[in-house]
Amino acid sequence: MADAPDTRPMTLVQAVNDALDVALSQDPRVLLFGEDVGMGGVFRVSDGLQGKHGEARVFDTPLAEAGIVGYGIGLALAGMRPVAEIQFAGFLYPALDQVLSHLGRYRHRTRGRFTVPMVIRAPYGGGVHTPEQHADSPEAVLTQAPGVKVVIPSDPMRAKGLLLAAIEDPDPVFFLEAIKLYRSVKAEVPSGHYTLELGRARVARAGDAATLVTYGGMVEVCLKAAEVAAREGVELEVIDLETLAPFDAATVMASVEKTGRAVVVYEARKIGGFGAEVAARIAEETVWSLQAPVLRVAGWDAPYPPFSAIEHHYRPDARRVLEAVRKVLAA
Amino acid sequence: MIRDSQLFQPFNDEPISLIGETGAWEGPFDLDLDPAALRGMYHDLVVGRLMDERLSRLQRQGKVSFVAPSAGHEGAQVGLAHALERGRDWLFPYYRDTSLLLAFGLPQVEMLAQAMATRADPNRGRQMPSHNGSKDLNIFTIASPIASHVAPAVGAAISMKVQGTGQVAVASFGEGATSEGDFHAALNFAGAQGAPVVFFCENNRYAISVDYNHQTGADSIAAKAHAYGMPGYTVDGMDVLASYYVMREVIERVRNGLGPVLVETLVYRFGPHSSADDDSRYRPREEVEAWKRRDPLLRFRRFLEKQGLWDDAAEAHLRAEVEASLQAATAEAEAAGPIPVEWMFDDVFAQRLPHLEEQRHDLLD
Ligand SMILES: Cc1ncc(C[n+]2csc(CCOP(=O)(O)OP(=O)(O)O)c2C)c(N)n1
Ligand SMILES: [Mg+2]
Repeated sequence: MADAPDTRPMTLVQAVNDALDVALSQDPRVLLFGEDVGMGGVFRVSDGLQGKHGEARVFDTPLAEAGIVGYGIGLALAGMRPVAEIQFAGFLYPALDQVLSHLGRYRHRTRGRFTVPMVIRAPYGGGVHTPEQHADSPEAVLTQAPGVKVVIPSDPMRAKGLLLAAIEDPDPVFFLEAIKLYRSVKAEVPSGHYTLELGRARVARAGDAATLVTYGGMVEVCLKAAEVAAREGVELEVIDLETLAPFDAATVMASVEKTGRAVVVYEARKIGGFGAEVAARIAEETVWSLQAPVLRVAGWDAPYPPFSAIEHHYRPDARRVLEAVRKVLAA
Repeated sequence: MIRDSQLFQPFNDEPISLIGETGAWEGPFDLDLDPAALRGMYHDLVVGRLMDERLSRLQRQGKVSFVAPSAGHEGAQVGLAHALERGRDWLFPYYRDTSLLLAFGLPQVEMLAQAMATRADPNRGRQMPSHNGSKDLNIFTIASPIASHVAPAVGAAISMKVQGTGQVAVASFGEGATSEGDFHAALNFAGAQGAPVVFFCENNRYAISVDYNHQTGADSIAAKAHAYGMPGYTVDGMDVLASYYVMREVIERVRNGLGPVLVETLVYRFGPHSSADDDSRYRPREEVEAWKRRDPLLRFRRFLEKQGLWDDAAEAHLRAEVEASLQAATAEAEAAGPIPVEWMFDDVFAQRLPHLEEQRHDLLD
C-alpha cells in the first residue's frame, strides 16, 4: 500500500491514544498506568492499549494519586519512561507532595546524576458538565514547581506531536488535556511518529488590532471571539502558548509589540492564575509598546460552580473576551 | 489493647451474617427488635431503593447532572443508620450513601433539591449531586476527592472526646478509598489517640473498573485495622440485621471510650459506578445477576414474611406510600425554582470581599 494516506481525522482523545500507542510500540521502557487505565480510562483515552501492549505495560493502579506519582518517579529514576494518568487534574492534590518535593527537584538535587523523565497526563477544565473539582484548572500550581514542564495542547494534531515530545523529554512533563476539547473537534493527524518542540508558543490566528494570549480549552473561545471581531473589521491575533513552562516570551512579546494591546484568557481562578504571570511578563518586557493596560479574562474567584445550569456563567466565553477587547481598543 | 466484644469477634474469616438467603434467622442470639423497628428498617430500605431509581430517572430526563447509584448497598447503610443516634452522632459519608443519609433523617426534599440544584437545597447547589450534607443532622457535607473526609472524622471525634459529649463519628467510604494515604493517616491518628470514631467501609469489590485484587494485596479490608491497633470486622452487607447488630455493638464500644473500630461490609453495586459509566465494559453480566439474587431488600422481606410481619398487601401499600412521598418531595424541590447564578459569590469568605463583589457585578452586567 504505497499510497496509504499518511493522515487521518482524529479527535483529541484519539490523537492522544495514537501518541501513546506509538510510544509504547517504539520504546519498551514506556509504561502507562493510573486509575481505570486498563479498561481505557474514564474518558477512554487508553482504549485498546492494554489489549495490544499487555497488562505488564498498560495497567491499573490502586486509588492513590500520591502513590501513582511517587511510584512513577521511582520507575523513571531506575530506567523506565513512565506515563502516569491522573483521572482528573482536580484529583492531583493528594500527589502534590511528590510533585513539589521530588518530581522537578531530582535533577538539581543530584547534579543531574538522577533524572525523572516522566509524563503525567490529566484531563482538566470545564465546559462539559463535569461538576465541582472535576472541572479544576490547577496549571498555575504546577508551573510553580521548579524543574517541571507544563504542556497544554489545543488541537489533535498538536496534541500527538507534543505528547510524543513530552515522553521523549529528559525532564518531567505535565500534559494537561482540556476535557472540553476531547471530542468536540476532529482534525487531520499524521500517522506514525512525529514530535513538536516543547517550549514554543504558536500564532493560532494572525491579526494586528490586539493580542489574545491563551492556551488549552480557551483557544477555541478566543478563536471564536476573533472571528466575531473580524466581521466588524477588527483583526485579533491569537497566541496559543501550548507550553506554559518553559514560557515562550519571544513569541508573545513579538505579537504584543506589533499590536500594542493584550488580553490574557484562562479558565482557572483569576487571582494568581497563569495569566497573571503572562501579564507580568508583558509588563516587564514590553510595557513601552503597550497602548492600553493588559487585561485578564478568567474564571471567577469562587469555587467552580458544581451544577451544569450555571457552568457557562463561570467559564470565560467569547462574549466576555470581546468585552475586554473593546476596553483595550478604547484605551 | 484490643478487647473482645460480646457477640462478635473481630478479624473473623467468614463474614458476619444473621439472616440466611431464605430469610431464616440464623443469629446465635435472640432477636430483640420489636415489629415496628423491623418494619421501620424495611421502610428505609425501600425508600433508599426508590429514591435511587428516581434520581437515575431524573438524570435521564436531564433534570439532574450526575448520579452515583447506590442500589445493592442499602442493607449495610440502613443497618448503620439504625445503630446511630440521630441528631447526636456525626456522619462523614461518601457519595454512594443515599440510603444511609435518608435513614439518618435527611429530608427527601433536601436530597432531591440538592440533586436538581434548586433553592430548596440548603447548600444552594454548591455541591455536585449525590454530595449532600446537613448542619442540622451533623452530616459532614460530602466532597468528591476520595478519602478526603476520613481524617476530618477523626478530628471531629477527638473534639467530641475532649468535650466529653459521648458522641460518635462515623466515616464511610468504598474499598478503593482505603488505598489513599489520607485513609492511613486517619486510622493511625485514631488508633494513637483513641478517637471515638468508626470507619465504615462499603466494599463492593470495584473502584469504578478496578477490581479488589488490583486494589490491594490484603485478604480483607478489615485486616488493615490490626496495624493501627483497633479491631476490624467483616460483615455481610447484604444483610441489614448483620450490619445493624454489629454496628450497635461497635458503636456502644466506641461510645464507652474503648477506641476506634474498622468495619468492612461486603456489598455490591447493582448499577454502574455513576451516570457517566458503562459497567458492562468491566463486569461480567453473570456476576451482576448473581449478586442481584442476593438483594438486601429481598432477603429482609423474606425474613419479615417468615416472622409473620409482612405480605404482598403490605408490600404494595408501602411502595405506593413511599412513591407518593417521593413524588411530593420532587414536586416541592422543583417548585422552589433554580438558584440564581450570582449566589456563587456568596460564602467564599465570611465577609463579602470587594474583588468578589466586583466580579458579581461584572457577571450581572
Ligand atoms: C482523589 C480522587 N481520585 C480519583 C477520583 C475519581 N473517582 C471517583 S469514585 C472512584 C472510585 C471509588 O471507588 P470506591 O472507593 O471503591 O467506592 P465505590 O465508588 O466503589 O463505592 C474514583 C477513582 C476521586 N473522586 N478522587
Ligand atoms: Mg468500591
